[in-house]
Amino acid sequence: MVKQNSMKKAFVKLASCLCLVASVTSATAGEKIDYTKMSSQQLAEHLIFNSDGFKLDKPVQEGGTARERLVQDELQKSCSVVGNATIPADTSVKVMTMARNSYRYPEGGIKLGDWKIGRELAWSGYGFRAGHKNDDHSTTKYGPGGNCYNCHQLATDRTGGSIGPALTGYGKARGTSDAILKYTYEVIYNPHAYFPCTHMPRIGAKKLLTEEQISHVMAYLFDPESPVNK
Amino acid sequence: MKKPILLALSFLMTATVANAASDYEDMAPEEILEALIDKTGSTYLNQSPQNRQMMPDNPAYWLVDEGEELFHQARGPKNVSLDGCDFGKGPGVLEGAYVELPRYFADTGQVMDLEARLAHCMVTLQGFDKKDPSVKKRHGSKSDFMKLQTYIATQSNGMKWNPPLDHPLEKAMRDAGEIMFYRRSGPMDFSCKACHGSTGKRIRASVLPNINEPDEWTKAISWPAERAGQQNVRSTQHRLRGCLWQMRHPQIVGGSDASIALISYWTDAARGQPAILPDLKR
Ligand code: HEC
Ligand code: HEC
Repeated sequence: MVKQNSMKKAFVKLASCLCLVASVTSATAGEKIDYTKMSSQQLAEHLIFNSDGFKLDKPVQEGGTARERLVQDELQKSCSVVGNATIPADTSVKVMTMARNSYRYPEGGIKLGDWKIGRELAWSGYGFRAGHKNDDHSTTKYGPGGNCYNCHQLATDRTGGSIGPALTGYGKARGTSDAILKYTYEVIYNPHAYFPCTHMPRIGAKKLLTEEQISHVMAYLFDPESPVNK
Repeated sequence: MKKPILLALSFLMTATVANAASDYEDMAPEEILEALIDKTGSTYLNQSPQNRQMMPDNPAYWLVDEGEELFHQARGPKNVSLDGCDFGKGPGVLEGAYVELPRYFADTGQVMDLEARLAHCMVTLQGFDKKDPSVKKRHGSKSDFMKLQTYIATQSNGMKWNPPLDHPLEKAMRDAGEIMFYRRSGPMDFSCKACHGSTGKRIRASVLPNINEPDEWTKAISWPAERAGQQNVRSTQHRLRGCLWQMRHPQIVGGSDASIALISYWTDAARGQPAILPDLKR
């Protein structure tokens, strides 16, 4: 049994060497693009954009087509490293600067909204999903959600994720000084000024939540009545 | 019906599991999982004792049986069975074929995964039109395609993932898949790494598998699996599509080279670890 298997393997190896020759000839005949002539990076880009790999022409909620979602911006390019390699220091500095430059603050200052709406938004993972089931933002009461619970433990009445740190007792522990409100707004708007290349989305900068929605989510973090602080 | 036999076997074998842990080929899927849990203590593997208890009665075994029948039946316009289909180890050889996919096939000049290869044989060998529901309907326990896939894949239970990388195209696809896995884009800046790059992290209550831990990742890629929450047996391609949907990325095309590149990378990441087939997931 064992012997047979290894014989089979040897045969397969031999066969695959023979095909190798065949593939090179057919590639030089110019019928097909030869993937082996590209760098991995080039091939990945080719597979994403030029090989019917994704349904690129579908409309998406923010307008335009799904194709644009796969085009990387500067931050996404800088923060895409293979494996567990650390981000080089100069990249971190660049990413932090870009984040600081992205900040836009609400007119009239950072305010806390309604923690009850904030709770709904923090819990909701609805919105912006595209493809086989496109989320329709007009069907939900508060629009697309913030996905916070997917990654964070917030109040203890619901199980949150652990990709981000637990935010339980956030306002109680940190108070509501202008500095902490500003910090929190900025982290939600674009966390990369504090955590370069973090996995947390740029919730304000990418318009996943509006300024008003962010004020509700912040109320959920800070309001003494919010279950987060009970 | 295999179920009662498997069940009986699993009782007989529990005693020998501990010292047979180096060889998984004769073990039932739940025993392989148990052995991996003992070895790793992984919270991902260990997250659902209820699901593990259900594994001997995995509804996916129904599909295995129905798939076996379909496989050997003369079907399609050419009225032949799939016994002549070569999944990489010779025509009709299914044992161990799935753990060596995706691989390069000389007759198409492409690297193909199980789905792509199966569809290819149904079209070329059996003469089905690409648009025939037998070929086109890929998802759901009732589809011919899921039944066939589940049967074929299950013939690799307990065998070690060993996708070949000898052919330059196999290597090219695997390496491009690696780039894609770590490539951030979209409204939420996600790459696969956001959720599958560290150990023991959760999205809400779901513990996520880490691609850097082969003995944990092997369960992650063990499809087809019954998804208890969906009451359907699901495929590799279905999982991939689902994660991209959560990521807010565009829909991936099943069988596309883009999908096969990702699957080549993720299979390579489980190399040497035993496949758990069929699996049962949350
Ligand atoms: C995909 C994961 C993810 C999502 C979604 C997410 N976060 Fe985060 N968040 C993180 C991570 C990871 C960190 C830690 C930063 C780091 O070290 O990279 C973080 C950090 C934070 C911090 C700073 C914590 C501190 O100790 O100073 C706050 C505040 C925060 N998130 C709030 C939110 C809110 C509010 C939402 C939803 C509107 C949200 N996050 C959505 C992953 C996420
Ligand atoms: C935002 C989080 C997130 C991202 C990003 C993500 N996944 Fe997942 N993935 C999950 C969750 C959650 C599960 C667990 C199954 C479930 O409950 O849906 C999962 C499950 C899986 C599994 C099977 C393991 C299981 O137990 O079901 C594989 C394999 C997988 N993902 C691969 C990928 C690949 C490849 C990518 C990138 C193309 C990716 N994931 C991106 C969240 C994510």
